[in-house]
Amino acid sequence: MTTSFIRSDDFAAFLTAMMEAVPVYGPVAKRSRFVFERLEAPDELRLDYDVTILPPKKLFFPPAQDLLRFDEAGVEAALEPTEKVLLGVHFYDVKAIDQTDLLFSERNYDVNYMGHRETTTIVASNIQNVSGRAFFASVGTDVQPEGHDAFLTAIEGGYVFETRTERGEALLGYGAFQPATDAQIDEAARVNAAALEQCPEKLEHGTEEIATKVRAAFGDDELWNELAADCFSCGTCNTVCPTCYCFDVQDTWNVDQSGQRTRFWDGCLTEDFAKCSLGDGGSENFREQRGQRFRHRIMRKATYLNEKLGGPACVGCGRCSAGCTADIADPVRVINRIMAS
Amino acid sequence: MSKPKVAFFDFACCEGCQIEMTNYGAEPFLELLKHVEIVEFREAMTETTTEPIDIALIEGSFTREADRARLMEIRKRAKIVIAYGQCATTGGINALKNHQTDYKQFVYGTDSDLPHLDSKKAYGVDHVIKVDYYAYGCPVNKYEVLQILLHLLHGKEPVIPNYPVCVECKRRETVCRFDEGDYCMGMVARAGCGAPCPAAGIPCEACRGFVDDPNLAAFEKVLVERAGFTPQRAAEKGRMFTANALEAS
Repeated sequence: MTTSFIRSDDFAAFLTAMMEAVPVYGPVAKRSRFVFERLEAPDELRLDYDVTILPPKKLFFPPAQDLLRFDEAGVEAALEPTEKVLLGVHFYDVKAIDQTDLLFSERNYDVNYMGHRETTTIVASNIQNVSGRAFFASVGTDVQPEGHDAFLTAIEGGYVFETRTERGEALLGYGAFQPATDAQIDEAARVNAAALEQCPEKLEHGTEEIATKVRAAFGDDELWNELAADCFSCGTCNTVCPTCYCFDVQDTWNVDQSGQRTRFWDGCLTEDFAKCSLGDGGSENFREQRGQRFRHRIMRKATYLNEKLGGPACVGCGRCSAGCTADIADPVRVINRIMAS
Repeated sequence: MSKPKVAFFDFACCEGCQIEMTNYGAEPFLELLKHVEIVEFREAMTETTTEPIDIALIEGSFTREADRARLMEIRKRAKIVIAYGQCATTGGINALKNHQTDYKQFVYGTDSDLPHLDSKKAYGVDHVIKVDYYAYGCPVNKYEVLQILLHLLHGKEPVIPNYPVCVECKRRETVCRFDEGDYCMGMVARAGCGAPCPAAGIPCEACRGFVDDPNLAAFEKVLVERAGFTPQRAAEKGRMFTANALEAS
């Protein structure tokens, strides 16, 4: 694969040519924050974003996704994936996409996720501004981001564009790229290394050490109840998380007897997440207490999935920390506190 | 098989939720009439019934002792009772008066002694009778009522959200009111509305009531620490739609 350079002055023309050929999604401003949206014009793209409200996962695994449509005649699949380019993904979100790619394809191959994923070309980009609660430099440091087709780094006067796959290579045709010089390649490496030095928050221990000690704290009910005392069970920490992948499936009917089966993001912090039917109108909730639900999330992020994923199910984006109204969700504060005890 | 008989009844309320039931538009409404027979619906027809009913939809709160017998009589005739709208489900804004004693004079002045205005504390209708399903909201979401009816017609249990409005704000990437220096009740408010108010830059006022287990201590703390409320204002913030839940907490 190749490493190219495109001048800042040529970048808008590159975006325009690409947008004419294929839908392009990237970070855009929304009031005081940023979101991934389909670009309508090249100048909407905000590669200087710090973090988006929702992770790019929403393009493959939408918050509400119709799976089937049915009527008296039969059932048909609702999935209609289209080719698209997802531009401007930070490396921590690429690591999260690697995790959901694995979780939605191992054993039961989830066509409703993979259909969208397989039709998406991902261009990662360097972190120009670090968000206020980020800790991506100190979490899962052995794990490298894999699932991207190209990587874009802003340097003086333009962008270095490293292709990782044939699909990434194909994007070169949309713009006035030239081979990058060694100096430009070195500068891109320095820019990306520098971003790792700017995280405002930091885990103080390694993945293994954290996993062992957090798991050992499982039975400390007093600790978990105290940590969860202000929890609203609102599931914001789940909803904004790039590695959460739980969903609920519900049918709705139309008046004419047709209907649809839809899956929605679910979150283990919400009160009814673990509520199960016992039949005949009876039910049982196996995580009734806030402390139990709070503990479950930390266990899932720091220990339970590590073996399967090769690292923690957390990438340090800081979305949960910033999104939690009561400010109790921050994994750095929770884990550092357990490690210090 | 004959079509299930559906009737609408109103108690203390503005009947706005009943009006919502006339707003489906001709096509869906006429389609619905292929599957149910509407036997009483004060805002839309003159006929009434004293016969047994399959599904009774009750709107309005219980606030007059004189209404107790009528509620019990409806319950006796109905296989299924759905409380719809916030007045019927939690007492709604009628319960705003529950911590006052002089409301009759303030509201009705010289008419305040008329016997039909003899009201007490306002409650949801489940203060008097067993309610099978709840359709929350001020006003009610007519599509949610329709979904409940369609689920029942298909012999399925309707699913009513018991998670806070924050879930729906985040799903649609609404910038949090607290991040813009405002307050919000979304963390304790029952979702199901799709969170249109915060998306329009307006705080959630919990018009669908609280979730089953709202964390009110944390709610007051956040209102004081992040939105600059006085402790008293924070403690009373939930009165507009959830006075009875606040009183019970």
